[in-house]
Amino acid sequence: MKDKALRRIFLCLGIVFISLFFLAPFLWMILISFSQSPDFPGGGAFSPTLKNFRDILEIKTLRFPAYLKNSLIISIMSSMIACIIGGLSAYGISRFRFRGKMIIVLGALALSMFPQISIVGYLFKFMSGIGWINTYKGLIFPYIAYSLPLALWILMSYFSRIPGEIDEAAQIDGASPWQIFTKVAVPVSLPGFLSAFLLLFMFAFNEFLFALLLTTDYRARTVPVGIALFQGLHGEIPWGYIMAASAVSCTPLILIAVFAQRYVIQGLTRGSLKG
Amino acid sequence: MNRNFKNLVIFLGPLVVFVSLFALIPVIGTFWISLFRDVSFLPEKKFVGISQYVKLFRDGQTLRSIWFTFIFALTSVFLEMLLGVMAALVINENFRGRNVLRGMILIPWAIPSVVGARIWQLIFRYDYGAANYVLRGVFGIHINWTATPLGALCVLVVADAWRTTSFVAIIILAGLQTVPEELYEQGRIDGADLFKRFFHITLPAIKPVVIVALLFRTIDALRVFDILYIITNGGPSGATTSLSLYSYQYFLMGDFGYGSAVSVILFLMAFLCSLFYLKAGRFREAVS
Repeated sequence: MKDKALRRIFLCLGIVFISLFFLAPFLWMILISFSQSPDFPGGGAFSPTLKNFRDILEIKTLRFPAYLKNSLIISIMSSMIACIIGGLSAYGISRFRFRGKMIIVLGALALSMFPQISIVGYLFKFMSGIGWINTYKGLIFPYIAYSLPLALWILMSYFSRIPGEIDEAAQIDGASPWQIFTKVAVPVSLPGFLSAFLLLFMFAFNEFLFALLLTTDYRARTVPVGIALFQGLHGEIPWGYIMAASAVSCTPLILIAVFAQRYVIQGLTRGSLKG
Repeated sequence: MNRNFKNLVIFLGPLVVFVSLFALIPVIGTFWISLFRDVSFLPEKKFVGISQYVKLFRDGQTLRSIWFTFIFALTSVFLEMLLGVMAALVINENFRGRNVLRGMILIPWAIPSVVGARIWQLIFRYDYGAANYVLRGVFGIHINWTATPLGALCVLVVADAWRTTSFVAIIILAGLQTVPEELYEQGRIDGADLFKRFFHITLPAIKPVVIVALLFRTIDALRVFDILYIITNGGPSGATTSLSLYSYQYFLMGDFGYGSAVSVILFLMAFLCSLFYLKAGRFREAVS
């Protein structure tokens, strides 16, 4: 019985610690975003206001709505295309026999683990050359390449669970691989596609280094870069604006994490552990 | 052209094209650039062979960056694994509100790293940060966190652990759920207490998953950039300049040759880890 009591104590301590450590900084962000000034722990009093939110949406020079629009378009486009290409290749790898299969899969997986910095220098020169700096496509294409391996890996684990007999039956009925893919494999793997899409969206929405180097202004700059480069008129850090902008841009991501938790966790585990 | 080949092109062609154009060729290109003196405001690119690599190892800041990157990865991954296993054990238990807690754990990981960095930057501010506010109230001291190398390292490790512990916890949780209940039952009958059961049953059972999470996190921690860029910008005086940030600073100055050489060093470190990762993850078996 001592065992059970001990277990309960640990569990309670764990729950308290997790809630504090994971949630408190996040709540701090929300609190500051609704506060007149960020320095009330230094002696002032907390006075609630909506001014920060109004300002970031209305002050033209801050460009926050433009950043948000850029981020949404770039993330949705890149994760959708990556899901389609990832789906095709995952199906090809799980169904066709050919030489060099292992090289493609392991190569793609290794590529996704390359440090971004060892790609971005060359990309910058390359995109300067073809005039892609500060454009949507200048970010969408590298994001697709960088997130493809994750899509590939998640979808492969779904396709490999479809029994081979279904394919064979369809083949005997005269269906081409393309038809089997679109009529059989994709429909039964829709949860996998949703999983992959959500994870890739989160990756693209949060990405910082590529966006920092490959964009120059509001025409293509994304939210993370905007939040990183927010400057006050006199060089001070405008904490109210930063936290309000953060709170707004976190909303879609938190909705995903809370309401599509199952898909996110499934994608995460299937993306980094085998099968 | 036979039909089989046509299918391969349709299904795998796009993947190969995209990955080659935007990941493989850039990596090779970066290595190629590192062999040139390539500064954007100098008119001529000059082939200099490995001389920039020689210069690299005589450059005090490079050595400091390698050291910092290594120390940062070591401490942050250690902390994340510790907290991650703990959090996974907690959310693996049955209690009311377990799903709420699980959703909560995902939040720091789901939001942009830049946002997390900004939050911790504010919390650890010298003048009106919440951390110093608490310290002042409880111990009557306050610390200028980002002014000393050790303080800055602490802030960065905490900020990184906050964001990525969730990932570790989710992966380990998947491992925990595969441990059969009978094992624990047997352990209880044999009179093993809570700790014995953890160290003799749970830990060995989840070891493969722990190793995968560990390597994955190490590879990711080696390329740390976002939180440094925001919280310390590499300071105080270069003490927290990771290899990624150091390389970026050269790109920013227009010196692509030397910046690329720095990033190649980081690439080699990460690549070594990913070889272990590919082996530990048994991806080879999963493909065939």
